[in-house]
Amino acid sequence: MSPRIPDTHAEAWALLPWLANGRIAADDREWVEAHVGGCAECRAELAAQRMVASNTSREAEQPVAANEEQKSFNKLWARIEAAESATTPATGTLGGGSRASRTVRWLAAAVVVQAVGLGVLGFGALRGDPAHGGEIVTVATPEPRLNAPAVRIVFSPQASIDTVNTLLVHQGLSIVSGPGIHGNFTAELSTDAVASGASAESVAQVMSKDPNVTFAQPVAR
Amino acid sequence: MALKSIESQSPRASPAPAATNDASERELLERIARSKDQAAFRTLYGNYYQRLSRLLARMSVRREDIEEVINDTFWVVWTKAGEFRGASQLSTWIIGIAYRRALNTLRRAKLRPVSDEPFDEESVSVGSSEEDETNQQWLSLGLERLPVEQRMALELTYTLGHSCEEVAAILDCPVNTVKTRLFRARETLKQVLPALAGMSGDHS
Repeated sequence: MSPRIPDTHAEAWALLPWLANGRIAADDREWVEAHVGGCAECRAELAAQRMVASNTSREAEQPVAANEEQKSFNKLWARIEAAESATTPATGTLGGGSRASRTVRWLAAAVVVQAVGLGVLGFGALRGDPAHGGEIVTVATPEPRLNAPAVRIVFSPQASIDTVNTLLVHQGLSIVSGPGIHGNFTAELSTDAVASGASAESVAQVMSKDPNVTFAQPVAR
Repeated sequence: MALKSIESQSPRASPAPAATNDASERELLERIARSKDQAAFRTLYGNYYQRLSRLLARMSVRREDIEEVINDTFWVVWTKAGEFRGASQLSTWIIGIAYRRALNTLRRAKLRPVSDEPFDEESVSVGSSEEDETNQQWLSLGLERLPVEQRMALELTYTLGHSCEEVAAILDCPVNTVKTRLFRARETLKQVLPALAGMSGDHS
């Protein structure tokens, strides 16, 4: 079958936008270009359309603020987590539910205990009790049973469960122990997070800048 | 108004955005479908956030609704990732979802997607020494004059670099309809863009 060669002005004119953006179908490119080569009107129109394409593309290059994108994604992820938690049947054991629902249960309990822990800590400090007020959790404090790089974290008392959950998920963290006496948790990095280049140090650095986190340090292994 | 030399504006030598990254984006989608990979999902979201924000703004979707439309779109991507069969480009699928969601949002909000505001020529700084900036201002005002279907055909073609067939798939209409919409958009823009009017003769 011989190729279609319409070579009509009207058809070429209609296809000029895709000649301008470089996405004209291969079957059409040759004959449209041939027509444009001999048609002053189409050449002028092609130049005009290239100007439109150039200006619209340039305008589109103005970037959206990165924090806007992250905030939007956080909302979507919280929605996904909530939906997946809601559709996962509770089994009554920590090992039975999805990771998301386990995290939510951990955190629900943890926030309560954290509040108690902070209260005890404050009371100890007020009393000048060296057993409590003088104890500082540091990088050097060993943590048994760790299978992956981990971070020790204390969340702000104002942080909601949703916020804490979102923070953990976005950093690829799962709580493996806590809360400690100071409301501190230990959270391990997921395999995916490690594979994507995250380290305990980098995650701790990010977390420590978050207003919902009062303390974040990598755990010595 | 003087125009930037048209000879200096060569056609895009590189493939348009829509034509690139399809293979790598399909890999991301496969990871989402196979293992609910959050990192892959986040990357894909980032790849589309800006494109969709701009496109939806062009559709006259309200600023406060844009995030909702994007997130509704990616909710579908997350939940239906395994159902994408690859008959079209991934970008065509995703942008098509966003377009239909946006239409629903516009209907719900009872917004008129076509601007009825009088064309305010005073708002364009004709005396600017920055020709490109002036052209962009004229173009933005011109685009606001277009019905949403024509505006989308133009945006999808020039800003996102889609082929005629891909635009038809996104807008869910025949290829000839896309050509007609763009033809009309071009004619309308010539009425409001001095630069274009000076460059191209009447087509009859």
